[in-house]
This record gives sequence, C-alpha cells and structure tokens, in this order.
Amino acid sequence: MSEPADTTAGAAVIEVEDLVKEYRGSDGSRVRAVDHLSLTVAAGEMVGLLGANGAGKTTTLRIIATLLKPTAGRASVCGCDSQADPVGVRRSLGYISASTGVPDRLTARELLTSFGRLNGLTETEVNSRVEWLIDTLALGAYADRPAGRLSSGQRQRISLARALVHEPPALVLDEPTNALDVVGSRNLLETLEQLRGSGHAMLLSTHRLHEIEHRCDRFVVIDAGRVVAAGTRSELVGAGRDLEDAFFRAVTGGASS
Amino acid sequence: MTRPDLTTTAAASREGPPVPGHWLTTARAVMAFQLSRLLTRPRLAMALIGALFPPAVMFAAIRTAPLDRNMAVVMIYALIPEALCVLGLLVTMCPVVADELERGTWIHVAIRPGGRRSLLLGTFAAAVLWTGGVAVTGLLLTLLIAQPTQPIGLAVMFLALIMLSCIGRAALFALPAVILPKRALIASVGVALVVEYLAGFLPAVVNQVTVSLRLRSLLVEWMDWRRELPVEMTLFVDTYSAGVQITAVIILVVVLLAAACFILNRRQFPPSAEN
Repeated sequence: MSEPADTTAGAAVIEVEDLVKEYRGSDGSRVRAVDHLSLTVAAGEMVGLLGANGAGKTTTLRIIATLLKPTAGRASVCGCDSQADPVGVRRSLGYISASTGVPDRLTARELLTSFGRLNGLTETEVNSRVEWLIDTLALGAYADRPAGRLSSGQRQRISLARALVHEPPALVLDEPTNALDVVGSRNLLETLEQLRGSGHAMLLSTHRLHEIEHRCDRFVVIDAGRVVAAGTRSELVGAGRDLEDAFFRAVTGGASS
Repeated sequence: MTRPDLTTTAAASREGPPVPGHWLTTARAVMAFQLSRLLTRPRLAMALIGALFPPAVMFAAIRTAPLDRNMAVVMIYALIPEALCVLGLLVTMCPVVADELERGTWIHVAIRPGGRRSLLLGTFAAAVLWTGGVAVTGLLLTLLIAQPTQPIGLAVMFLALIMLSCIGRAALFALPAVILPKRALIASVGVALVVEYLAGFLPAVVNQVTVSLRLRSLLVEWMDWRRELPVEMTLFVDTYSAGVQITAVIILVVVLLAAACFILNRRQFPPSAEN
C-alpha cells in the first residue's frame, strides 16, 4: 500500500496525468472519451470540471473513483494510484453522482450504518460517525424515515453523508445538484463549501455554471476529452460577462454567441 | 438554516480513513443490508406462498391416493431442494446482484474497499438464508402433512439437501448475474434448465459439475436405495460416498464464487451502463 499522502492545505490530493480513455464503439471502432487530460486538486480546494454532454467529465471522474480503467495515463488520490492501489484510492475517496442510489426502503440511519460497516468501521465508530453525520448534515428530521418518502434534496444529502461516512479527504461529485431544486442545491453547495473549509479536496462536475461560479476555486473546461481552458474564475472570464460566457468561448474556440 | 460547523470534522481526530474491514465483516454488512431490503410485504407474501406450495401439493397428493414413504420422499425432494430452492434463488440471488450492478446503488458499493467482493458474498449469504428459511418452513409443513415414519431422520436429511442445494445453486446463479447483468434472470433460468436439468441428467462427464447430480446421489445414498435402484436409473446417480458428494458441492461453490468475484473485480462501469 502507498504511503499516506500529505493532505495539508495546498498539497495535491487528486492528481490526473495525461489520462486517456477509449471505448469500443458498436461497430468495433475505438472512441476516445478522454484525451490526454491532466488536472490536480489540492487539499482545501474545490475545482469545477465543466464540459458539454459527452465531453468526458463522468468518464474522468469514474476513472479517478476506480470504476473505470484508463487506456493510458494515470489518476491518483492521496498518492494512491487508481490502477496499482485501487483499495488505497477507495479508502480516501467519497463519490457522489446525480442518481443518488439511495434505496427507497432504507432509512438514512440504516444506510449510513451499513456503509460504515462496509468501510470497516467498528460498531462504536459506526454509531458515533452516523450520529455525527446526522447532526452535522442536519439529517435529524428525516434520519429514521424510509428514503422513498424523501425529497430529491434530502436523498442527495443522505448520499453526501454516505460519501463522508469513512472520513475521506477527497470528494468526487458528478453533477450532484442535477435533480435538486434551488433550495436543495444551495444547501448542498453550502455544505460542500464548509467541507472545503475543513480541508477536503473536491472535484465537481455540473452543467449549472451559475451555481458554482463563485464557489469553486478553479475551473477546468473540457471538450471532446481534452482540456480547452483552465484557471480561476477571473482568469477564465477575463473581459467577458460571466463563467457561462467564458465556457462557451472555450468550447467553441472563441466563437462566442 | 443554522448548521453545525463542518470545519472541525471528526477526520481531524483520526490519522486517516479506516482500513478496509475483514471480508467476513463487510460481507456480513452487505448481507444485513440485503436482508433488510428483502423484508418487504410483497417479498414476504412471495416467501409465504413459496413455503405453502410444497405442503399444498403434498396435501392434494395424499387426498388423491395414499403415498408410501419412498414416494413421499421423492415428492418432497422434487418439491423442496429442487423446485422451491431453485425458484427461490432465481428471485433472490441473480436479480438482486443484477439490480445492484445495473442501478445506481452499485457504484456506491463498488468504490468501497473490498466492496465488490462484499456485495457478491453478502448477497449470496442473504439469498441462501432467505431461500433456506422458506425451504425449511416448507419442509416442516410438508412433513407435518405427509406424516412419514422416522420424520426426524428425514428432516435432518432434507435440511442437509436444502443447505447444499441453496449454496450450490446460489453460486451457480452468481455467474450469469455478473456476466450478463442486463439479462440476469433469463440467463439464470437458462443455466438452471441447461446446466442443472439437462446436463445434470446426461450420463456423461458434464453432469459431474452439476449440483443436481450430487443431490440425487446423496438422496439415493442416504435413503439406502442403491441396491433397489433399477439398472437404467443408476446412470443418473454417482457411486461415490456422501462425503465425496458434499465435498464436490463445496468445491463447486468455491470455484463458482471465485470466478464471479474475479469477473466482478475486473468489471468496469462506463457512464452509458447506468441508464
């Protein structure tokens, strides 16, 4: 197992280097979804991964989360390579997707307890961790209600709690606000900002640029699997109107509407 | 909305994330998780119908004509370790694994250390416990109705056959669930028919890797029917001792589960597979 990486503020926690991912098409041809993509996310940093549908965002996030194997290049979390030490990556990573995958019949408490045990926590650790998450993420009002009766926002908060149950220093979030209304989305993003304050490294993809425009520290814009722009909001926006404008310019090669 | 401050997480008090738990502990966590998901009214109703099916058939049979002990044993064998266990596992093993693979829940388990193996083994244990529980309930009710001589001996024998049937068939259905998750149930029905009930009755080497041959051979051995068996029927049973038959089932289970774990660990999860 790799040595634990430095997760103090500023140290790179998520590293993607020259990543390539090709899928085999239905006609046998090879389709390149990610094309020599590189990025880093430091401890205490929230980075937005932006791109149109099919740009390679989810594929990149899934390679980082060890759900997919890269064709070439490497991805690592806390110094653990996703290929050589996937268990090390899984220990250090929390993953959230747009589809929460929260079973309808289970309560938040039951789900978090199951996942705590699955992560190797002892019963004492599970109990205290679940209580802490319920308290901290304000799940108390519905922690003992079957998830099927909860709103999308409440289910996404449970999904966030599940991602945090093993105290990972890094979070990968694949369109976490997709199914949420304005209030649910804002609550979730505020919580993520607080997590950033506690030193978590976060890589977040979304299509709702206005939601994260002033929340992310940096942005990486990808198109056809390649990085077409990267930087802070002010670096990307420059003399333009807003992030959406900058995004449009980046993916259309400057031909802004 | 006021919320406690997240800037002082419990993570600060730890040296790092927890080390992965022992596979038995994590598989047990998945088993509890799956059993709690099985405890729904429709599932319980299906289990009740399953448990009542063999005694109902037995009741109808003895109302029609008196059954001798051997005939009653053959009926119980066909109804419970064969039909009920296979049907029970078809609805608890492969669809549950396939659901996990195909729906959103899977990725959240797959990114846990040892999550994939725990998912398979925990679901296997839950399917065996659930189906075994239904089969044992059905057995006790059927024995009450059939009222054969030496019921305790028969109960013990059938408990062993039910256990072997459940673990053997659950391991067998794990493979189609991980290889063809989108068509898991159809593939498992195909495996049940082709492997268990076609290959299992072929008097050739291929029947050696079926659970049905082992169970039939154990039934013949434990009922001491070998000498009375017509010559043509000896083609459908194995001549080795009960110990060999049980060991063969256990080896089969270990090999099938290891193969399923291997495939599951190598499985990728592209974005298109989620929808």
